[in-house]
Amino acid sequence: MTAAPDAVAREVAARLEAAAPLNAVLHWSAGGIEAEARRVAAMPSAGPLHAVPLAVKDNIATLDAPTTCASRILEGYRSPFEATALRRLRAAGAMLVAKTNLDEFAMGSSTEHSAFGRVHHPLDPARVPGGSSGGSAALVAAGVVPAALGSETGGSVRQPAAFCGVVGVKPSYGRVSRYGLVAFGSSLDCISVFGRTVGDAARVLATMSGHDPLDATTLAEPPLAVPETPTSLAGMTVGLPTEYFPADLDPGVRAGVDRVAAALRELGATVTEVSLPHSRYAVPTYYIVAPAEASANLARYDGVRYGPPRPEHEADLRALYRATRGRGFGPEVRRRILVGTYVLSAGYYEAYYGTAQRMRARIAGDFRAAFERVDLLLTPTAPTTAFRAGEKTEDPVAMYLADVFVCPASLAGLPALSLPAGRSEGLPVGAQLIAPAGQDTRMLAVAAALEERVVAAGEVR
Amino acid sequence: MTISRDEVLHIARLAEIAVDEAELATLVSQLNRIVDYVAQLEAAPDEGQGDDFLPGPARVALRDDRVRSEPLAHPPAALAPAWRDGYFVVPRLSAMEDA
Repeated sequence: MTAAPDAVAREVAARLEAAAPLNAVLHWSAGGIEAEARRVAAMPSAGPLHAVPLAVKDNIATLDAPTTCASRILEGYRSPFEATALRRLRAAGAMLVAKTNLDEFAMGSSTEHSAFGRVHHPLDPARVPGGSSGGSAALVAAGVVPAALGSETGGSVRQPAAFCGVVGVKPSYGRVSRYGLVAFGSSLDCISVFGRTVGDAARVLATMSGHDPLDATTLAEPPLAVPETPTSLAGMTVGLPTEYFPADLDPGVRAGVDRVAAALRELGATVTEVSLPHSRYAVPTYYIVAPAEASANLARYDGVRYGPPRPEHEADLRALYRATRGRGFGPEVRRRILVGTYVLSAGYYEAYYGTAQRMRARIAGDFRAAFERVDLLLTPTAPTTAFRAGEKTEDPVAMYLADVFVCPASLAGLPALSLPAGRSEGLPVGAQLIAPAGQDTRMLAVAAALEERVVAAGEVR
Repeated sequence: MTISRDEVLHIARLAEIAVDEAELATLVSQLNRIVDYVAQLEAAPDEGQGDDFLPGPARVALRDDRVRSEPLAHPPAALAPAWRDGYFVVPRLSAMEDA
């Protein structure tokens, strides 16, 4: 039996109203959802995602709602085109119901850096939902939608998925078109997905994946398949990278990952230690590469091409640029543009950017070497459970380290996901699976097999 | 390595970002914290000159050089604050007047 789109629309609107205190949504309207329901009801045949309500991070271009990237500089901006990923999902019957809050331009790990206020964790409003896709994560965790789109540059879906206790999947770089995803770090950016279950996330990912002529960096491969859930993992070897289990790892997080490792063994897999020695340099590498790319990508927000008009500066082009960008960007975006400008500037380019590019190759090389011995890697997703709001906002580096376990796979372009692995002191713990490039489907199949055994684990410590 | 106040102002000029005097001290401190942190890469063991790495396809897939019909979702007049006689109306910029 398929759900009636108008009934889904009414239910989702009621849940969005109830979830308003989370501040997870930037744009939605009952009228907009009803229009989506009418569009889906009028489709000649029910698509594979018939009447599935989806929330979409507000850095993904939509036609009928603003796309602001949670930035004053794009306040009220409406895109003249729609992201390929979303176009495919809507063509399959999915209904766009809300645009979600994020760290401004997807730069952050807590969704506290939004120009429109921070997002609250669904289980404890004093805590953060992770970031930068915190609005999408919170809406899925709160049961408002079964799945939502986020975006990853350095872990911005997996880390909030872990904090909120939902599934978060980053595909291989190039599996999903970036057309319509507002550019941050173009060699890293991936539209990614949250789901209540692995199956829900896999269905959304499969529908939006595949080559797109409008993004020359998409892989020339057909869309992903939704995997069957295997009943046994016999013959599979899963590696635990020793560098991802430091002595000071939160004991609750460790207990959650141990639970997943035990489930892998119960399913017949072999679990063994491996080493990824250069992963310790992933965060500093990321915070050179990503700001460098961001400083170039965000040059377009200048008050002429994008950004609110500032008539008081129209006589002086440079003054217009500086005023628009100085006032329009929030503090974290300005910091990253300045760091990116610095590491690309004459005299420093080789010392910073050149060194980081070579380190990126070594980090990717470590993964290639490990995948000659093992089929998948298992790590914690984040070093802690959800932290308190304000705890890391004064120290940018402390915030960056929340991504220490998710950054490496982003730099290497690998598929990776976060799977709920029970709770510690009432807060969700996430376990991360990382797969070789292109093996997204196999990774999802293993996650589906693990899901039943670990999601209901409850307290792990 | 320390980034001075003057260097931060220089970088901000390169990035075309106005910086308020009131926030400058905090910004200098935070940028130094970040750059000190990322500078740990310099201390990584030297393993010779490796290759750069980029994920994704080995070769980008170029489209056929063929003009296609791409209907606009919104009319051009809806894409700009002002539109007159088939043109976007933009502010007059003094920088353009010497040309």
